[in-house]
Amino acid sequence: MENIAGRTSALNWIVHISVVALVALWLFPTIGLLVSSFRTADQISSNGWWQSLFPTEQNLTLRTADPSNQTLVNGVYVVEGNLFGDTSDADISVWGVTSRAIDTYVPGDTADLGDGVTITVEADGTYIWTSPEELSGRGQRVFATATTPPEFTLDNYDTVLVSGGRTDSMTRAFFNTMTVTIPATIIPIVIAAFAAYALAWMDFPGRALLIAAVVGLLVVPLQLALIPLLRLHLEIGIGKGYLGTWLAHTGFGLPLAIYLLRNYMVGLPRDIIENARVDGATDFQIFTKIILPLSFPALASFAIFQFLWTWNDLLVAKVFLIDATGQTTVMTAQIVELLGTRGGNWEILATAAFVSIAVPLLVFFAMQRYLVRGLLAGSVK
Amino acid sequence: MKMKLYASAAAIALGTVAQADGHLAGQQITVAGPWLSPEAEIVAEIFSIFEEQTGASVSYVGSDSFEQQIMIDAESGSAPNVAVFPQPGLAADMARRGFLTPLADGTADWIRENYAAGQSWVDLGTYADQNGDDQLYGMFFRVDLKSLVWFSPENFEDAGYEIPETMEELIALSDQIVEDGGTPWCIGLGSGAATGWPATDWVEDMMLRTQPPEVYDAWVSNELPFDSPEVINAIEQFGIFARNDDYVAGGSGAVATTDFRDSPRGLFDSPPQCYMHRQASFIPAFFPDGTEIGADVDFFYFPAYEAEDLGAPVLGAGTLFAITNPTDGAQELIEFLRSPEAHEVWMSKGGFLTPHTGVNPDAFIDDTSRRLNDVLLNATTFRFDASDLMPGAVGAGSFWTGMVDYAGGADAAAVAAQIQSSWDAIR
Repeated sequence: MENIAGRTSALNWIVHISVVALVALWLFPTIGLLVSSFRTADQISSNGWWQSLFPTEQNLTLRTADPSNQTLVNGVYVVEGNLFGDTSDADISVWGVTSRAIDTYVPGDTADLGDGVTITVEADGTYIWTSPEELSGRGQRVFATATTPPEFTLDNYDTVLVSGGRTDSMTRAFFNTMTVTIPATIIPIVIAAFAAYALAWMDFPGRALLIAAVVGLLVVPLQLALIPLLRLHLEIGIGKGYLGTWLAHTGFGLPLAIYLLRNYMVGLPRDIIENARVDGATDFQIFTKIILPLSFPALASFAIFQFLWTWNDLLVAKVFLIDATGQTTVMTAQIVELLGTRGGNWEILATAAFVSIAVPLLVFFAMQRYLVRGLLAGSVK
Repeated sequence: MKMKLYASAAAIALGTVAQADGHLAGQQITVAGPWLSPEAEIVAEIFSIFEEQTGASVSYVGSDSFEQQIMIDAESGSAPNVAVFPQPGLAADMARRGFLTPLADGTADWIRENYAAGQSWVDLGTYADQNGDDQLYGMFFRVDLKSLVWFSPENFEDAGYEIPETMEELIALSDQIVEDGGTPWCIGLGSGAATGWPATDWVEDMMLRTQPPEVYDAWVSNELPFDSPEVINAIEQFGIFARNDDYVAGGSGAVATTDFRDSPRGLFDSPPQCYMHRQASFIPAFFPDGTEIGADVDFFYFPAYEAEDLGAPVLGAGTLFAITNPTDGAQELIEFLRSPEAHEVWMSKGGFLTPHTGVNPDAFIDDTSRRLNDVLLNATTFRFDASDLMPGAVGAGSFWTGMVDYAGGADAAAVAAQIQSSWDAIR
């Protein structure tokens, strides 16, 4: 007995460690993305997000104020200030005045710039730049090796949510996405529930073939149908718009919906349904009063799937919805636009990712307890 | 009678000056293009002038996958009125399939008269239609200059370096920087699915600096095979810089893996990772925030070999407007692009060069842009980016990947032969 108990415990450990490892594997990049969404583009490209959590030593190129700020004190022109702006917790360890030698001086030293011009820099970044002649040109460059505290910003969220590009378009895109997503989730569920009941519990010739055909449709990639379907929409007068998008999402979502729901419904106890038949219930009554309430987990799990697909969809929206007027843009398309013409704006990408997963996360946590039950229910009878 | 004549003369005068007659009121003109934020906002601003003048409403939609999107829209019959093509190759392809409408008569003459090197812009916008007849389909608007080297003037001053006037001097300067313990170049070829394109610009620039323009044209049309000695030499010229561990920040192994958007940042590091960066006129968009163009960073013309005596060749690229769904408004919108103010709006925002000789140079946002435009207007030879003119499978395919292989250590002749065989395969 001890042996068996011991083995179970070891297995448990392995399971727990694997779970922790998998969770870490999934969370690690997500946290990186979250941290990056609070950083500026320059910070992202200069060091990793894990370094940004702690004070880091960096080589900085700083510049004094312009000579236009100079004052005449005792016959010497003086420019004073702080290299880091108003206030800063940075701590300079070494500094220099040319790009060839960035570590010539320690804080408190005075550097000779020639012709009697000098500059003194303290550890906190305050400097005095003096000259016997009037200074001209730009501020003096100072190369400092400094330890700077972590610095985060909400600017990216401001750009994505409030002031980004065409000001009102993120809100518009949000409502457009909702307009696409909600009907595109409900319509296939309603149709698939009816179809699944018929394929599971109504006897008619060719039923098995029909099921086989639906399963077969699962393997048809939607890319195959894009252009022919769009042509059809244009020919019959639907054009590009919400109706066409709903139809497309419905069509592409139906095979899996029917398959999933039919497998679930087949597993419901035959006795209940036959009892209801004996008591004189019609097929419609059986469907609404018995099958639908019992199938709720399967319906909910498919609803989550379909919602996430349509929410994250860019391809179908680009083909069937977004016309040349640009009024019907969706979140995904809007985010791509925020990335800029050459797509280098990682900080926006990270931020937009978190903005766009907010709603799917809500939906998922609201309905996730049905997800596993619904998925398993069809497979094990 | 006389009154009437005066009146109509006045009307004509008014019409040409202001054109604010709203004769297109209620018309909607749709435009699709590759520009996203922030260019999209500038384009919208340019179109708003047109809207005020004509009463039409113009809507612009940008797409990062414009090349695929325009094909889907054209094939299914839901194309926008006007499309902005990033490369002539795609526009030529669509013209051949009958998806484009020729521009109004007289456009070609206007371009010849008002664009610097006008004939070459007409040629670049002229493609064969379905029947094989040449027609003018594209009007160029916004040009990028590629033969540029970016550097930090203050770093040059610190080290006492002079701006090189010839390729010989540039190579001597690179050696000098290595001798002084620095690294002369930052080169990055990474660009997602388009990784490798910055190297094609290098090779094209080297081609123009080692061969006469006619040879370059023959190369573009594949009359000169890709694996001929002239082309292999140009690739090896690029290798002088990219394949030299001492010349490139991070060593030559980093060339293919560094993103082109990140590579110019080495100029601004402390201490500088590199002193020079060869890239097109749009690259300032990727400089760190707050970089002052002209003071913190500046450019010089990527010089030509003095020994070759080929003048001052300039490599460039540009976007062109074409009509994909003809209406009166679409033709007028293209015509509106002739007006200097359409160019001047973008000139005042930066990142915009134009061959239009009638614009007011004071409209440029800064001196650097003005000097860039002068490079364009003063070029003895202007040639369009070869990879944009080659068939997609080569210019946006095997040429890119071949250059990545070459930067990674493959033999130039073998790479060239491979690219040529991919070209043979699509014929």
